[in-house]
Amino acid sequence: MAARWALGAGAAWARGLLSWARPERWLASGSLFPLSCIHTSTSLQKIGKWEKKNRIVYPPQLPGEPRRPAEIYHCRREIKYSKDKMWYLAKLIKGMSIDQALAQLEFSDKKGAKVIKEVLLEAQEMAVRKHNVEFKSNLHIAESQTGRGRYVKRLRCHGKGMFGMMRISRCHYFVKLVEGPPPPPEPPKTGFDQAKEYVQQLRNRTLVHTL
Amino acid sequence: MGDGDADTPHPLPNSRGSPPPHAPPALHHARGGGWVRGCGRSLPRWPRPLLRSRWNFPLAGAARAPAGHAPPRARAPPGPAHTPPPPPPPRGGAKMAAAMAARLCLKGAESLLRPRALPCVVVPVRGRRKWPRVPEWARELSAEEKEWRLRSAAPIFPDERMERTFFLACTAEIMDPYVPPEGDARLTSLSKDGVKQQMQKLRQTAASQLALRKIKDHDPDFSTKTFPEKAQEIFIEAHNSLANFNKQKLHSLVTERCYPDMVRGNRYKTIRWRFVESLEPPRVVHVRCEGILNRGNLYGQVTVRMHSRQILAIYDRFGRLMYGGEEIPKDVLEYVVFERYLVNPYGTWRMHGKIIPEWAPPKDPIIKTVMIPGPAPDPSQEHETGK
Repeated sequence: MAARWALGAGAAWARGLLSWARPERWLASGSLFPLSCIHTSTSLQKIGKWEKKNRIVYPPQLPGEPRRPAEIYHCRREIKYSKDKMWYLAKLIKGMSIDQALAQLEFSDKKGAKVIKEVLLEAQEMAVRKHNVEFKSNLHIAESQTGRGRYVKRLRCHGKGMFGMMRISRCHYFVKLVEGPPPPPEPPKTGFDQAKEYVQQLRNRTLVHTL
Repeated sequence: MGDGDADTPHPLPNSRGSPPPHAPPALHHARGGGWVRGCGRSLPRWPRPLLRSRWNFPLAGAARAPAGHAPPRARAPPGPAHTPPPPPPPRGGAKMAAAMAARLCLKGAESLLRPRALPCVVVPVRGRRKWPRVPEWARELSAEEKEWRLRSAAPIFPDERMERTFFLACTAEIMDPYVPPEGDARLTSLSKDGVKQQMQKLRQTAASQLALRKIKDHDPDFSTKTFPEKAQEIFIEAHNSLANFNKQKLHSLVTERCYPDMVRGNRYKTIRWRFVESLEPPRVVHVRCEGILNRGNLYGQVTVRMHSRQILAIYDRFGRLMYGGEEIPKDVLEYVVFERYLVNPYGTWRMHGKIIPEWAPPKDPIIKTVMIPGPAPDPSQEHETGK
């Protein structure tokens, strides 16, 4: 029906129609224009799952409940770096407080360190402005992961007319900041703990299918 | 075109100019145009074969037949009147019949066009092609006729871009805002000053009276006595639908200028609002009625003074209290402006905005602390060492 309208009224008008800003559906006392209800803006790229995690709203807490710590999800897509190389940095800062992480990244020689630092600063800013976090240092990194971005194959020319196909790799970086001090690290397992576990296993043995 | 015709192809009449009546038939034209393919008989590409054109039908008097194949007879008086021979019955398929008919048409045309006895010789000049193409015989037409033909020959360009119409359902601001008197609501009705304030009726302002009359012209049911209750109902309904995030209802209760002020920043928050009671009956304090853009485009704005007790609690995304409290009622004195598009018969009174006087007490601070960064330290300044 829209196509028929466009043909009838001229191509220029139709083009103008499509380049309009998105009409607000809520103009209840709106015009009599019959095409006022179409959504003419182009939809954005698919919003990733990590970005959507910032949209969940929890119900108000009752007065007796412990205060729920704020969680802020942030990511950066299509970083020109290898995901395996980025993983080392992500593993480095996992579990640190945000100040410590920023300090470590500032003095790291890797290329991805600069990118991750920018991401952390953005996330910190977002947390204070939008997510009602009171102290910007009171955040720690709960999750820090890398993901594979879109790879592109290109030709790499060698001598004597030979060539190889090379991959241009990109990665994504995901981070989750949680309000509060960082959790204490797990103590390493001593021999005594292992012995205790062994003894417990022995004690758990029972006889089955017996009287 | 079937069997060969003895005659060599003659240049056919076209609408571009007068064809040379006595020009020798040329197999290859000076212009170098190719031959029209398709017909077995070679037809030159230029001059073009006879086309249907609105200039090619008989002139005033005769019926305006759209057939282009019959050129105007008056232009070239035919010599010995002779009718074209009747077409033979179609022998072959439809293709053969069409070819035969075409050939006969051409023959008839050329016989009509070739005046046998014409004293002058018209030498065609292949000039620059002009538009619209007006043939010579059309120069004798009357001005009206010419204009009609020119107008119908011209292509129709849509001059006006059909823009999307927009509809101003509300004004952008509060017109001539009401200035609340200093110390309003501080004085009780028991003191003399308080009584004087309350006695300040609307009648004292002339502009308000004029505006009120204008509003009553468009809306005869309007009355300053009944309107404040309705206004308070609208106010309560609007805030309830804000707390429930009922966008559709909120749009019908609140103007487009007020909506973003109410809704901004609240998308991921939970709002709990409750109207406890009204401490004083609401009353109308200010009425204005003005038109924007045009003189008759009237919007009426009415300011209602409300003194009430309300409970407000805002929770953030994680359910933590950000502002206010569920059990803390607050006394609020507000001057709420309601607007209506008077000229629109389906317009309704909607909340337009609030007037916050300068002497209003400051709002309660939010629960969290906010850091305001100080000025960046200058490296030339010596920093003080802590003791």
